[in-house]
Amino acid sequence: MKTILKAALLVSLAAPSASAAELTVMTAGDQNMVDYVNEYLGPLFEEQNPGNTVRVVGTGPGDAGSQKIVERFEAQSKAGTATWDADVAVVHEKFTGPMVKAGYLESYRSKIDTGALVTRANADMALGSDVSGYVMPMYNSQAALAYNPALVENPPKSYPEIVSWAKEHPKMFGYNGIKGGASGVSFVMGWIYAFGEGDAKNLMTGPFEESETQKWGPALASLKDFTKNATLTPGNAGTLDLLSRGEIAMGPVWVDMFYSWQANGQLPPDFKLVLPAPGMPGQPMHYVIPAKSANVTLAEKFVQLATSPKVQADGIVTRFNWYPGIDAKYVQAELDKKTWDKLFTDISPEDIATKSKPFPIAPYNNAILEAYEKQVSN
Amino acid sequence: MSTTNDAMPVPRSSMKRLPMMDLWWLPRALVLGLLAFVIFGPLTNLVLWTVAERWYFPNALPMSYGFSFWARVFSPRGNAMEALGNSVLVAMLTVILALALAIPAGFALARLKLPFRGLILLAFLLPQAFPNLPVYVNIARVFYQLGLNGTILGVVLVHMTHGLVFSVWIATAAFSAVDIELEQAARSVGASAIRTFRDITLPLAMPGLMASAIFVFLESLDEFTGSYFVGAPDINMLPLLLYTASGGGNYQIASITALVLLVPSIGFMLVVERFLKSDVLSKVGH
Amino acid sequence: MSHRPLSLLLVAPALAVILLLFVVPLVASVVGAFEVGDGFGFGNFVKATELYTQDAIFTVVIVSLSTVLIGLFSIAIAGYLTLGENPRTVAILRWLYRWPMFIPFIVTGQVLRTFLAKNGLFNNVLISLGILTPVQAESFLDWRGIVIAFVWKQTPFVTLLLAGAMASLDRSTIEAARNLGASRLRILFEIVVPQVATTLLVGLILSFVTMMSVLSVPLMINAQSPTMLTTDIAFRINAYGDYGVANALGLVSLLITSVVAWIYLRHGVRKSL
Repeated sequence: MKTILKAALLVSLAAPSASAAELTVMTAGDQNMVDYVNEYLGPLFEEQNPGNTVRVVGTGPGDAGSQKIVERFEAQSKAGTATWDADVAVVHEKFTGPMVKAGYLESYRSKIDTGALVTRANADMALGSDVSGYVMPMYNSQAALAYNPALVENPPKSYPEIVSWAKEHPKMFGYNGIKGGASGVSFVMGWIYAFGEGDAKNLMTGPFEESETQKWGPALASLKDFTKNATLTPGNAGTLDLLSRGEIAMGPVWVDMFYSWQANGQLPPDFKLVLPAPGMPGQPMHYVIPAKSANVTLAEKFVQLATSPKVQADGIVTRFNWYPGIDAKYVQAELDKKTWDKLFTDISPEDIATKSKPFPIAPYNNAILEAYEKQVSN
Repeated sequence: MSTTNDAMPVPRSSMKRLPMMDLWWLPRALVLGLLAFVIFGPLTNLVLWTVAERWYFPNALPMSYGFSFWARVFSPRGNAMEALGNSVLVAMLTVILALALAIPAGFALARLKLPFRGLILLAFLLPQAFPNLPVYVNIARVFYQLGLNGTILGVVLVHMTHGLVFSVWIATAAFSAVDIELEQAARSVGASAIRTFRDITLPLAMPGLMASAIFVFLESLDEFTGSYFVGAPDINMLPLLLYTASGGGNYQIASITALVLLVPSIGFMLVVERFLKSDVLSKVGH
Repeated sequence: MSHRPLSLLLVAPALAVILLLFVVPLVASVVGAFEVGDGFGFGNFVKATELYTQDAIFTVVIVSLSTVLIGLFSIAIAGYLTLGENPRTVAILRWLYRWPMFIPFIVTGQVLRTFLAKNGLFNNVLISLGILTPVQAESFLDWRGIVIAFVWKQTPFVTLLLAGAMASLDRSTIEAARNLGASRLRILFEIVVPQVATTLLVGLILSFVTMMSVLSVPLMINAQSPTMLTTDIAFRINAYGDYGVANALGLVSLLITSVVAWIYLRHGVRKSL
């Protein structure tokens, strides 16, 4: 025991950054994000970096949670604070572009070992903004249709099939519009990809052209008709809630949220997911490091640990059934086949490859949302 | 929801009341029962969720019960107890400060000549009336400059700004309701202005002031946005947990947190009531 | 007139807090509402009107309706607490009515979402009592849900204030009226309520303002469109990062509450004259 203590002491004295620091992690997202850092990642990091502690602050689910982190940075930037009170933040993809543009972030990917393990396009471009180097994906989140197999025998495989299914089963399809969370937004974006007259590819990669925004009229008109025959649900959680009590049979949800509801016993274990063609948008949650963090080196170490194949395998895939942030092949190597396959019970790797889309680039994204506000919900 | 109308005292002259007496328990019990359902129905839902391990359709009640979510809320690293302590401390300080500011202000607004009285009252309403989010960013910026971010004082100041409308408006109403003749009578027998205020005006306004204290306390205990912007990450407050859990639809953790927050709320109210009963209600009617 | 310096001195600390901690930061937001591109103008208001007029009307109707219901219920409950003759009923009622007050709005939204849903606890109980058949069960998760949530949460607030004010009333007039054979309903509306009108009005205005600013209830209960302004403000900020229109909507919301507050002030001023 004594020798271990001595060794630990020696190590902590020898390490240059080992002066005890408190690493503050701010995370948007649901309670399980906070729990993840508190119960798993934090203790693991503290074990590997003795003397340092990790504390986590949850800023709330959805875009609002990420927005609160942006605002916090903005306040500190405007106040001219020398060192900021966050060392690592976990935010939705959409907010990374503006943060990079405002100069809040540290470019760190090339400085950590795991930086090379990420090659997915959405780690470089976030809704049309270049964020290369500034972000590391924590996990990739995907929207999909959840359904109640007792009420839906043959789930629709594509958007046109959803339309005809919903026509035959009035009010049994539910989604949360666009103001109650991003699962509804993802469904709407998928609708535009499927039925919009423009080029869906251009929506996802740009460049933005004003004329494209005129091509959604008929698609939105049909969405309005569709919505009349559907049930509107109160929020991302509302869709799951109505699904769980049998009021709707099908609706778009976040895959990660779907699994945590099942894990919490709020959703029957036999409920299933399907990713309809041509696809629905998903998005990564990114780790970012504020440039004015007081503990940049330690923060980099933290993200390096969080994006290491081992942690991605044990933490992200095994614990939560979430899609890993770094490239799949590195994570798969860490896992047995059964655990890995569980990730693709309902949605196959081919589905992910072909039907997992990014959200439209920011200007299109905003234009579609505003067109929806004008034409569908008014 | 239309039930409480029946709870109105039924018009009945005192002469006719006697023979009917025995039957009146029926509507009374019915109305009380309905009211109990309306109030405790949703609350039962809340309590059930705190111990539900599995609960979904078509089961009307949870399928299995347990305390695993309690363990999650109170896990050593979750700091729920520390957050609860902070929340209660901040709420108490907020009440004390708000009352200290509101009693003189309310008295002046109710009793003394004041220029722009309407505008002043309106100013207190602002923090409730204008959506906060855009404003908090500005407040946070100022607080960063002043070094108030991450301090208890900073959080208390923000909560107090929000609570002042309750304490000032209610104090004003309470002081205006005090019969001015009682004060004049006291003054005419030679009591000083301060003594009149202490012995006559303040006690009579006390029920209102204490009610306002309860609201300020509750408002502070439930506040999220300001607690996040000004308090976190150094001062953790319980509603941060509540908002993350509830917004994401984690019913168990949100319900447990809400239940935990009930304890200080109800405790505070009971203390206030005890204080009210012994000190004030005896003076009422004299 | 001699009171004036003293009265200002008494108000000054509280006012200073509001000015420094809210009005000054607010000014930046108000200016933001008029910022369009590089200059100033009413662009944000035009857009707000274009997209959210319906929502503004909806908000006013919902909040006004809730306020009226809260007023009625709180008079009924506080009235019974003051004039009720059955001590046991009074005691039970006093114990009963306050509970919702302690539940934060966001939890109110959450419990009522699961309570009022089509297959929620509310309908389940009615069905098991035989009052409703499963086919008749419907979801209340629309404007009715918001009103129910507001009334549920805010009635105890106004009742507590009102009951307090009624308790401080001079009981001799009430007893006199009762001895003359006046009904309790008449006593309530002709003697008691007029004397606590200011408190009632204050309670209702504070409720009105609180409801105007609550985000979680419409967000968690109302799935339909139109929705309340707070939802739109949050949406403008979170989805578009658009503080301009958000602040414009904030000003609209402020305007609505000012109109209501003005009613009180007029009443208050008239009273003091």
